[in-house]
Amino acid sequence: MSEAVRHVVILGGGTAGWLTAGLLAARHSGGPERGLQITVIESPDVPIIGVGEGTWPTFRKTLSRIGIAEEDFLRACQASFKQGSCFDGWVTGEDSDRYHHPFELPVSQNGTDVLHAWQSSARDRPFAEAVCPQVSPALQGLAPRKAGMPDYMGALNYAYHLDAPRLAELLREHVTGKLGVRRICDHVTEVIGAPDAPIEALVCRDTGRVDADLFVDCTGQASLLLGKHYGVPFIDQGHVLFNDSALVTQLPVAPDAPIVSETVSTAHEAGWIWDIGLTTRRGIGCVYSSAHMSDEKAAETLRQYTGLSGEDGFRKLSFRSGHRAHFWHRNCVAIGLSAGFLEPLEASAIVLIELSADMLAENLPVTRSAMRLEARRFNEVFRYRWARIIEFLKLHYVLSRRTGAYWDDHRRADTIPERLRDHLETWSHRPPGSHDFDHANEVFPVSSYLYILYGMGMTPRLHPTLRPAVPDVLQVEMQKVVRKQRMLAESLPTNRALLSRLAPEPVH
Amino acid sequence: MPNHAAVNPADHRSVRILEERSEASGDGQMCCITFPDEFRKVQAHYPILFQKDAERTGFRCLALFGFENGENLFLKGGRWEAGYLPLAMDVQPFMIGLPKDGSGDRKVVLDLDNPRVSEGMGMRLFDDNGMATEFLEGVSRKLNALDQGYRRSAAFTEALEAHGLLEPLTLDITLADGSENRMLGFHIIHEERLAGLDADSLKELQAEGHLQAIYMAIASLSHLSDLTDRKNERVVHAG
Repeated sequence: MSEAVRHVVILGGGTAGWLTAGLLAARHSGGPERGLQITVIESPDVPIIGVGEGTWPTFRKTLSRIGIAEEDFLRACQASFKQGSCFDGWVTGEDSDRYHHPFELPVSQNGTDVLHAWQSSARDRPFAEAVCPQVSPALQGLAPRKAGMPDYMGALNYAYHLDAPRLAELLREHVTGKLGVRRICDHVTEVIGAPDAPIEALVCRDTGRVDADLFVDCTGQASLLLGKHYGVPFIDQGHVLFNDSALVTQLPVAPDAPIVSETVSTAHEAGWIWDIGLTTRRGIGCVYSSAHMSDEKAAETLRQYTGLSGEDGFRKLSFRSGHRAHFWHRNCVAIGLSAGFLEPLEASAIVLIELSADMLAENLPVTRSAMRLEARRFNEVFRYRWARIIEFLKLHYVLSRRTGAYWDDHRRADTIPERLRDHLETWSHRPPGSHDFDHANEVFPVSSYLYILYGMGMTPRLHPTLRPAVPDVLQVEMQKVVRKQRMLAESLPTNRALLSRLAPEPVH
Repeated sequence: MPNHAAVNPADHRSVRILEERSEASGDGQMCCITFPDEFRKVQAHYPILFQKDAERTGFRCLALFGFENGENLFLKGGRWEAGYLPLAMDVQPFMIGLPKDGSGDRKVVLDLDNPRVSEGMGMRLFDDNGMATEFLEGVSRKLNALDQGYRRSAAFTEALEAHGLLEPLTLDITLADGSENRMLGFHIIHEERLAGLDADSLKELQAEGHLQAIYMAIASLSHLSDLTDRKNERVVHAG
């Protein structure tokens, strides 16, 4: 067995497997002599139909790194542009109850300054609309970019709504065809290696034994290598994030119907409904806590939202919010659902894959003996990230003033992570600031907290003695928001106009 | 029959103007009209030449983009590669409409057959309330500047003629592929005569504000070699 890390085997060919393969292959040279060999083993089962998923803006960089043209991606994945999230009925549940979390940053990322600017000059407008130029064009169904702009560039920051199984297909084709990744289509029947030693090889039913230096577990919730083989425990977060079920469906849309540029999340009595607009259909799912709502009640809630009749069946997904105690064990790294899953609010699934694959590609151990320290660092970073995401998701529930058992339970102190409790206490005295989130690569920057806190009506008292930034400067920035909104409205095409320019997918 | 219409919110609410600049969108021109008020910006990017105007038997000022009819060497990948777009190109596909009886307001007129006139993509003329957008207001401002500048340029070219300051330009260009190209029909400032002008003439040109424009036109000719480089780049790529 050679000491150098030369062969990486990725088990599982979903979004996680192919994204990881793509990012690894794009970052490392292949070639038979000194290159890194990458193999994806995927089972021959036909993938299910996707229900629509959201990415983060990071996904543009990811696709560009892997070397896929934006038009090819948009066409293949029936993708549309996502410019943020819209939260309906989360604060009180009344008709007018709505706030936004756009991708563009507010005029200032200092919680004190931006609160002061908003309260002193634009009190009559909701927070996100006042401090960021993106909400108004997104609400009008305008695209974040114009035709003819270079790939992955926009007039506004944006991400995508996409069909995940189609994404996996596109990535598979590109990564095996262009980046030299080997694909084995087979079932794994055995893992060779003792539970207290590195994995030596996987045995496939038809292909036989596949040896490698590093194994990436992308087997989804099954977590075959990290969970089953190594027995790394799953840390359940169901006591913080109660949702454990989703009923999903899709609605076809007319070819010329406007495409909504935000993920619309509508709260209901025991969870919420996602609504994601793709080019040909909307993916809709009712997320709920089975302890607080029956499947039948959830189906009724979804029927009410979609206007579908009782005849229509919904597909049910069950999940547990939580993650493994660690993610890199010996020579096995779990990426994707095998590492963990959190309910889909704020769409953290794909971005966690990107972040994990990025870090793995960047810090890929040169030798097997270098693996221990890289693993330790990886585990520290991702334990921190999972914890921050859990807190951020929980924040949406804690700040709600809705009543009923589900929402009341969410606000019970013993269901709120300690760090979030401390933050909330601090922010009742003063606005959030950069020192509250001081890691170099925070998953959610302070601006995300500002959009949720101020959007949901938690406006801390300004510090009695702290002077806000020079008022004139922010005043100018606030005026720029209005001007930019006007400029964007006259220059941006609608999502539909821009996306319908894409030529139809070539027939194979 | 040209298909021109005075711009108004009732008819043109959904009209958009594509920002693309390409041969296909009507920008395949070797030159356009310019005028002394614009020279400061034009001379930073383009050669300024003079050409006899058949109708007026006078001269007009031109910014040069290419060496033969229909050739614009600044167009690349749907963009115009220069830091400044001469007003005469910038305002297209708009023009000023003069009322038939010569009275009343002048109007912004749109050439509806121009390929940059579109729907769905491009800059809007009116917002949802039917108010003119900043884009349309900008067009209107530029049309006025173009009109005024063009009117004032006659005095300039007449002065050049009066002082005998124009001479024909014969430009022979040898390209990277060895081909020889000759460009005829343009005039430039006669530098020797300019240098030999007496004090009274210079004083007169100075008083009228023409002197600065003359020197900017002279300086602009250094861009002839940039333009040759652009042409060579295409010749090489085509070969």
